Amino acid sequence: MNVQFKKGVLELCVLVLLDKQDRYGYELVQKISEQIHISEGSVYPLLRRLTKDGHFTTYLKESTEGPPRKYYKLTDNGRVYLHDLLKEWKEFANGVNQLIEEGVNDD
Amino acid sequence: MTKKQFLTKLNTSLKGLSSDDREDILQDFEEHFTIGLEEGKTEEQISASLGSPQQIAKELVATHRVEKVNETSTAGNIFRAVWAVIGLGFFNLVIVLGPFIALTGLIAAGWAVGISFVAAPLLVLINVALHPQIFELFDLFVSIALAGLGLFIAIGMFFATRAVKNGFVRYLKYNLSVVKGGVKHA
Repeated sequence: MNVQFKKGVLELCVLVLLDKQDRYGYELVQKISEQIHISEGSVYPLLRRLTKDGHFTTYLKESTEGPPRKYYKLTDNGRVYLHDLLKEWKEFANGVNQLIEEGVNDD
Repeated sequence: MTKKQFLTKLNTSLKGLSSDDREDILQDFEEHFTIGLEEGKTEEQISASLGSPQQIAKELVATHRVEKVNETSTAGNIFRAVWAVIGLGFFNLVIVLGPFIALTGLIAAGWAVGISFVAAPLLVLINVALHPQIFELFDLFVSIALAGLGLFIAIGMFFATRAVKNGFVRYLKYNLSVVKGGVKHA
């Protein structure tokens, strides 16, 4: 898929994953790369940017297996942003699907 | 690449960021390696899926530069931010550098007009000093009128420059979230 396109979607994926629960970086990266082919390292700059923009806060939490992990938590601000993006995405996806269906029917 | 090589490359590519920021970033990747190793992956595997440390660094540096313009927008800061965003990929050369040159040109032209209008009476005086025989009162009045107009243009340009700068910084930010950088072709 188009590279420019994917990067914008990555932002939406991260926000969606944090909507229901807080997660640590590695977990987010794994969840996304199970579904989409990405350079895993590019998630971290994204997390940092969204944190600086006030969409996430972070905290450290002990883990049973090793050193503490940095968790990301969606802020109210971030939730509003998520819903805006989600709305845009749905409209966009519906539009494209509509066109695809019409195209297929014509054949 | 081993973990150590990856982190070293990342660190050296993060020039320009404060040592606090760098440590924070390296810590994130350190954590990523630790968890990956616990899951039984090798350092090589982990760094291969992470992708190029230089590309990751480019993106972090570009974000940092754009933020700096938000805090203090000197000409140097703006140029560094534009440069860093362009560095993210060839595509950006067109969609960032193009508008940047056009806007800079417009702003420069606006200021040139304003300043030369303001300087008009001075030019008339110089002319009179050089060729006293062709002095006309009309020239002086017109030049004073131009100077007044020039002042208004200069004031307008002051606000226009600020608005264009803010708009452009927003455009750079938007580019950071949409435009190519660090994401693989499928």
